[in-house]
Amino acid sequence: MAVRVPPVMRRIRSATRGRPRLPARLSPRRARIFAVLGLLGPGLIAANAGNDAGGIATYSSVGAKYGYELLWTMVLITISLALVQMLAARMGVVTGKGLAELVREEYGIRWSVFATSAVLVANTGICISDFVGIGAALGLAGVPVQVSVPLAAVGIWLIIVRGSYRSAERIFIWFTIPFFAYPIAAVLAHPHWTAVGKALVVPQLHTSSAFLVLLIATTGTTITPYMQLYLQSAVVERGVRDDELPQEEREAVAGAVFANMIATFIIIATGATLFTHGIHNVSSAAGAARALSPFAGHYAEALFGIGLLGASLLAAAILPIATSYVVSESLGYEKGIGRRRQEAPVFVNIITAMIMLGAFVAIIPGVPVISLLVGVQVVNGFLLPINLFFIWRLSRSRHVMGERHTRGLLDGTAAVTVAVTSTLSIALVVITLSSL
Amino acid sequence: MSAMSTPTAQAPPILHLSQVVGSPLRDADGGRLGKVEDLIVRLGGSGYPPITGFLVSVAGRPSFLGAERVSEIGTDGVVMRKAKLDMRHFERRPEEVLLKRDLLDRQLINVQGARLVRANEIELALVGGSWRVVGVDTGARGGLRRLLPKGLGAHIATGEFLDWAGVEPFVGHVPTVRLRVPHPKLAKLHPAQIADLVEAASRREGEEIIQAVGDDDRELEADVFEELDDQHQREFLEDRPDAQIAAILARMAPDDAADIVGELDEHRREPVLALLPVSHRIKVRALLGYDPAEAGGLMSPDFVLLRGSTSAGDALSAVRASTIAPELLSTVFVGPAEGPLEGGVPVTALLRVEPGRKLSTIVKHETPCLAPDASFEEVAREMADYNLTSIPVVDEHKQMLGVVTVDDVLEAMLPRGWRRRFGLLGED
Repeated sequence: MAVRVPPVMRRIRSATRGRPRLPARLSPRRARIFAVLGLLGPGLIAANAGNDAGGIATYSSVGAKYGYELLWTMVLITISLALVQMLAARMGVVTGKGLAELVREEYGIRWSVFATSAVLVANTGICISDFVGIGAALGLAGVPVQVSVPLAAVGIWLIIVRGSYRSAERIFIWFTIPFFAYPIAAVLAHPHWTAVGKALVVPQLHTSSAFLVLLIATTGTTITPYMQLYLQSAVVERGVRDDELPQEEREAVAGAVFANMIATFIIIATGATLFTHGIHNVSSAAGAARALSPFAGHYAEALFGIGLLGASLLAAAILPIATSYVVSESLGYEKGIGRRRQEAPVFVNIITAMIMLGAFVAIIPGVPVISLLVGVQVVNGFLLPINLFFIWRLSRSRHVMGERHTRGLLDGTAAVTVAVTSTLSIALVVITLSSL
Repeated sequence: MSAMSTPTAQAPPILHLSQVVGSPLRDADGGRLGKVEDLIVRLGGSGYPPITGFLVSVAGRPSFLGAERVSEIGTDGVVMRKAKLDMRHFERRPEEVLLKRDLLDRQLINVQGARLVRANEIELALVGGSWRVVGVDTGARGGLRRLLPKGLGAHIATGEFLDWAGVEPFVGHVPTVRLRVPHPKLAKLHPAQIADLVEAASRREGEEIIQAVGDDDRELEADVFEELDDQHQREFLEDRPDAQIAAILARMAPDDAADIVGELDEHRREPVLALLPVSHRIKVRALLGYDPAEAGGLMSPDFVLLRGSTSAGDALSAVRASTIAPELLSTVFVGPAEGPLEGGVPVTALLRVEPGRKLSTIVKHETPCLAPDASFEEVAREMADYNLTSIPVVDEHKQMLGVVTVDDVLEAMLPRGWRRRFGLLGED
């Protein structure tokens, strides 16, 4: 019997090459390049989904009504959002579990079901408004809602249910390209840049209740619960390793900063045109786009419409996913993008149902979108403090996070952020309810 | 559904954990003393884990109550044997976990279905004279019961009952139990199923599975590592010392071991290789010289090569005596130890001919073979064209170097995302 060992090879090839499908080990320089590219991931997607139809409508109102006066709040909101998103990403990496899963394990089934129901209601509402946004954006180009919305719904469903996580993520990142339309629109609108710069750093306050409502609404629409829920679940599904944590945190922060820069440009664009020309009331995102054209030309309207389309498509895709993750996590069902119906029935059915419902309601003529958005805002206003509280508590818990638990300055800042944001969102609920 | 079964033949009444936790603690006369906060159970033994004590609060003070001091457990409370309160401070003993805090709402391994489930409810019953955990409810009903007020919840029957015999809990998050409770039921699973569980679980839970498997059976641990996807292999190996990695690699087939060494950071490869047994090290090092995407990187250096003058009977004894993996033995190769390969003879062909026939008379001379730099596509095409389960790899002088088997090719051909689905569609 001759079980033999082969002779030592003459032709030694580099063993550093991976399997054909696998990325090879990176040299430090290449690793750095990839770290930059890594900025394009769940953090960017999650935060940017916040610039959806509802967000754009709010930012446009801010710009139209008060010009640049509220710009300074965007700086503070950006810091808060970046912090919260970073904590969500960190929890996802360290525990390998979604937020809903952690809440269930640490606080019991009642809290998790309560939070899950709130997420379900709030996100369904936002989802509808985003399909309305898709219809409105394509309506600017003359496409009837009855055609554009069903097509978009089918497309989004296919990406989520038929693609893999990586391919879906890649497509979502492409959806963020249209956001660059806003900075361009802002430049085309010829804003007074010195005034813009001053407004960013010098806080200005009015005591009128309309001002406060808009300030709070801006906070509420920029920091929304589904962003954290989506980010954490996506990080888990991505299978991010421990040593990639700093990169993932950077990505979450960069995503939040980018998203809010876009929001700031929307305020600048509308502030430079609508506000200076005395148009102080904008009722919808599409209305804002239309209102821009007399002052900034037809390009501005087109750009605004493209931005609205990209944002609405992205949010209409992210919301069903985030919702479905939360429900599956808290009830313990199989989950994952790209899973077929027979593999993860609950996960896929929730996504399908939300997309169908969103698209269906958006097609009905004369749907009271505004009152729908108000209702959604109230539910979100309740949900956000709960969500933020859990994020803060869980991320500082040594039991859950081990050595990576937040402490010191970071923990203190998080606590302040949670407290202030929660107060604002409760105030929004109170104001909305009392004005009904 | 196979996973559903009654806990014992007599089917004692089942008590739901959520109905016991929060119920009053009573003395023998029915007087109310305090409240039941949690139940303590000892894992680790065989059979249903017994309840060893209770965490109760009396006048707001948390205390421990041993199970021997309790006469009755029911939905209307836990009754103490003696009225006298003599309660100690609770301290976990090894292998003890709290049912509500440590197990309820958390993930468990459903061993029968080889998948992860969540404990929506924990079911207790009186078995063999003591109260024990007999199973968990993974269905929606268990969760619903706990959402409803207690009176209403009591009417909800168990949904999807999963017997404890088919369940392994995760205990890595329990401070003192950490790594002390073995998971013997996992050994019943196929390494590929265990690997799927590890991939589906969170990092900490995956670590616990691997640790438990490794404590029990080093051989199985190595098999599980072979089955893990590259990302998880790296994740779970990176933190280990070189000696441990080498110990795992030494139990693997050389081609799989070479793949893993290729996954390691550059500076760790040499130290790990140096710790491998000599014969293994030479094989792995040789394989590392090839591109993993080509025939040389896919092949295994273990095979049976016999001279043409060997008889079929002797060839079969050689196969019998060989210790290499069965998939590498499906074909016996024929040729001189140093010289060109003549061809291969399937083991089935050896069984069919009379034992005295010489191999040179039955060898298939047209056996296809590959150069080490044959691309992966070429390997796959060649094996598909000739209906082969293994194909030899030879150098420029037709000297045999190794053999590529169909399982290596299949693994590399499997589309992304397919592997993880194995086992997640369990019958239950």
